[in-house]
Amino acid sequence: MSKTIIKTIISAVLVLACTIGPIVAALAYESSRTRDLTAEILARAPEKGNYSPRFVTVAFGQKVKLRVRNIDTVTHGFAIPALEVDAGEIKAGQYAVLEFTPEKPGKYDFYCTTWCSEFHLQMRGILEVTAR
Amino acid sequence: MSEQNSKNQRLLGLFPLNWRFDLASLPGVRWLLKQRWFPMIVILINMFIFIVILMSGIMGGFSSGNYSFGIMFVWILWWVLLMMLLVPVLSRTWCMMCPLPSFGEWLQRLRIFGVNNKLGGLNLKWPRRLSNMWVMNFLFLGTTFFSGFFTVKPLVTFYLLGGIIVMGIVLSLIFEKRSFCLYVCPVSGFQGLYANMAMTEIRVKDPNICAKHKKKTCETGNKKGYGCPWLLEPHSLKRNTYCGMCLECFKTCPFDNMAFNIRPPGTDLLVNEKRGLDEAWKSFIMIAIAIMFYVAMMGPWGWIKDWVRGNTLTGWLKFISVHTAFALVIIPGIFFVFSFLSKLFSGSKEVRLKAVFVNLSYCLIPMGLASWIAFSFGFLLPNGSYILHILSDPFALGWDLFGTANIPWTPVATGWLVPLQFITLFAGYLVAADYGYKLSLQTYTDPAAAKRGFIPLLVLLTLVVIAFGWLYGG
Ligand code: SF4
Ligand SMILES: [Cu+2]
Repeated sequence: MSKTIIKTIISAVLVLACTIGPIVAALAYESSRTRDLTAEILARAPEKGNYSPRFVTVAFGQKVKLRVRNIDTVTHGFAIPALEVDAGEIKAGQYAVLEFTPEKPGKYDFYCTTWCSEFHLQMRGILEVTAR
Repeated sequence: MSEQNSKNQRLLGLFPLNWRFDLASLPGVRWLLKQRWFPMIVILINMFIFIVILMSGIMGGFSSGNYSFGIMFVWILWWVLLMMLLVPVLSRTWCMMCPLPSFGEWLQRLRIFGVNNKLGGLNLKWPRRLSNMWVMNFLFLGTTFFSGFFTVKPLVTFYLLGGIIVMGIVLSLIFEKRSFCLYVCPVSGFQGLYANMAMTEIRVKDPNICAKHKKKTCETGNKKGYGCPWLLEPHSLKRNTYCGMCLECFKTCPFDNMAFNIRPPGTDLLVNEKRGLDEAWKSFIMIAIAIMFYVAMMGPWGWIKDWVRGNTLTGWLKFISVHTAFALVIIPGIFFVFSFLSKLFSGSKEVRLKAVFVNLSYCLIPMGLASWIAFSFGFLLPNGSYILHILSDPFALGWDLFGTANIPWTPVATGWLVPLQFITLFAGYLVAADYGYKLSLQTYTDPAAAKRGFIPLLVLLTLVVIAFGWLYGG
């Protein structure tokens, strides 16, 4: 009797570990890794979804940590010239992490720095730095 | 009759076709195969991997193929392993460890490791008219319509695998045992067909013991295991095609009469059991797809790529129609012409043309398999290094689990690619010709007629290998 119970428990644990296990582990690992991120911006050519989100709000005087992830098939870039922030080239499937502290409130354009599609010039968004 | 003349036959005049070695006679192997937790434990490990693949389809880079765990694992690793190692050497060993139908099977059994021969679900019989490869033929061909998306859009791979899993669960609740695997799973058909070439088999050791065993527990099941989930009669198994190598018969046989044999490749091609047009067409479809994949993926024709990738709907529809016609009509048509010539040359009156057509089609199996192996080299060598990257960063989230995330793309031994492909194709050609002759002999029985009937077949095989050589050699 107790032997079958032990067997049942072991099978249940094994099955859960191999099905729900990877899902829970991946989500937990990712959330622990991104706890200090201010925002993540996905990069795609404009006709495939553009930056998302395209509008990001941060507080002035506080450290900002952005992760720009290229989920497209072509190379993109990411720069906020007014804040002297530039990620350079971000290849397909790669990502860049940018850290900076905006000193002045205001609205700042960010855009793609690589000619990625015929709509490349529309690949842009706004970072708003609020006074608090 | 066919049994007799295959008794002393040799492959390429060298290896005796009736040579066997039972791996389960090695110490420890039979013990392992009889354990209830084997192969279930391997299935669970693969389930883990497939869950990660499914997750990467919805989490990771949505469109960057080379950096997608799902795409790389499924299409570079899994597919290549299937074609190069699992099927040609180990028969349907993939089905032994496949996690795709497990949820359905668990629901039927309400057990994971244990035995419960009172299976749940509706347990209906699969329709007899569909108890062949046709459903799989069409599903597989249909799947290749989307081949232009599989390697670029992780989400498409997600839908494909997810679809197989869901279908497996639904059909397992309606139909008995592994009906889904036997007659529906798109991965099943080509494994079944090409497993005829495999160098392993599960067979009975001594048929006399089975003859005396009235209960036939391998069919009905007992406390030790399930009655054959693949609806076979393990005691009289003759061909690999529908054997999923689940190992239940090793567990249920009270006399340890099952063997896991090593054998010369391709001996099943000569076994005349359940041969039919369905399997012939499977052969044609596989060859057509090998050609189409090569042309679309490695060929220099940009406009074909555009069609296959579905850049425009009309282009994609054109691709589907051309591809379908090629696989279902043109290639079979060419083969029909040569079968007709074979019968004509043989001078035989009694043998029916359909028998010639069906029997001889089995010599396309070594040729087709070789073309797939050659094609897989073209995938593996240039792209294999991506595997290291995606292992460390499976969801394209910037992880570096094993420190290999930033390994640059390094094509391996690409200088060897074309020579390897040529050697593979040539080996396939030799084996195909050898079995072609044996099949001709089996069909016409009279050796002189068989020789004459073999000539058109040899011409066809030569044309096929030249065509593939031209295609792959550029
Ligand atoms: S037939 Fe398909 S689902 Fe069934 S075990 Fe084989 S590959 Fe898996
Ligand atoms: Cu861009």
